[in-house]
Amino acid sequence: MGFEPEAEQLIEDGPMARPYFLTGGRTRSDAGELAVEAMVAAAPDSAPPADAELRAIHELCQTPNSIAEISAKRSLPLGVARVLVADLWGSGSLEVLETTRSDDIAIVRRLLDGIRNR
Amino acid sequence: MAFETAEQAQRPVSAKVVVSGGFGVGKTTFVAAVSEIAPLRTEAQMTSAATGVDDATFVQEKTATTVAMDFGKITVEAGLVLYVFGTPGQDRFGFMWNDITEGALGALVLVDSRRLDECFNAIDYFESRNIPFVVALNQFDGAPMHNEADIREALDLPASVPIVRTDARQSQYATDTLVQLLAHILETLAASASPVPAQRPAPVVTTDMRDRAANALAAERSA
Repeated sequence: MGFEPEAEQLIEDGPMARPYFLTGGRTRSDAGELAVEAMVAAAPDSAPPADAELRAIHELCQTPNSIAEISAKRSLPLGVARVLVADLWGSGSLEVLETTRSDDIAIVRRLLDGIRNR
Repeated sequence: MAFETAEQAQRPVSAKVVVSGGFGVGKTTFVAAVSEIAPLRTEAQMTSAATGVDDATFVQEKTATTVAMDFGKITVEAGLVLYVFGTPGQDRFGFMWNDITEGALGALVLVDSRRLDECFNAIDYFESRNIPFVVALNQFDGAPMHNEADIREALDLPASVPIVRTDARQSQYATDTLVQLLAHILETLAASASPVPAQRPAPVVTTDMRDRAANALAAERSA
């Protein structure tokens, strides 16, 4: 399901829309679920999206940001940020970087060493 | 790391731990103490997890149910970022927990010794999902200094769950507590690393782990 032209128009009018208006009412993206700590970055040479909010997220992700950071920095509810990022991922504008598995001993060891030696 | 390429440095790997505990126990303070950035606040709405948009349209309370969640960030090395998420303290925001804890390496359960019962839910949650956790007694002025055995009994904690003391107001103390959590996670992973349950954990890793745990403890004592 894509953005309805009417919905985009209303978003331009101001911040009074219900949060999920930005997602066309969807609480999930067709592209899939992303973890709150998943980092995303603008795909190399990807063009800025036309939609204002999507363009702002794409701009923010010129440096890698997590879903949670995008939510906080763009003042979007977490669920909304997740759907919009997943859409941008699905359309090829953003790349999803690696999140660790919770049983990755090597990563835990690097974290432990790195933080202990700060 | 020396062998890390520029490509990897540009594509960081992220991991997550969570800080949990009852309302007002110092989760946000702790996140701020360990984070390299000012903690960020994100909001989630009930509709994101619990209901469809259409349902919420007719139930006014649900559209108004917003829960704030603070999180911090530690860039451990060029290619590795650790996020520290605080879970919403109140029980009624439990619907958020799965979302926040999914994929977490482990959890810190902050405890106010004057209100021990407020951490029961968090302990039950992490125990039932096999998420490694450490119980950290947060220092509050005027709070009784219970000994560890009493607290372990009151919380019905197995010996495998460490109980440590922390002070969320002090960055170094809080960071040391985070190190203790990571050491415990490493120990737990090393113990369960064997694919066949009957086998013993690899001894090399276990010895290494003891050294790390001892170092973490020494670091705490000297802090």
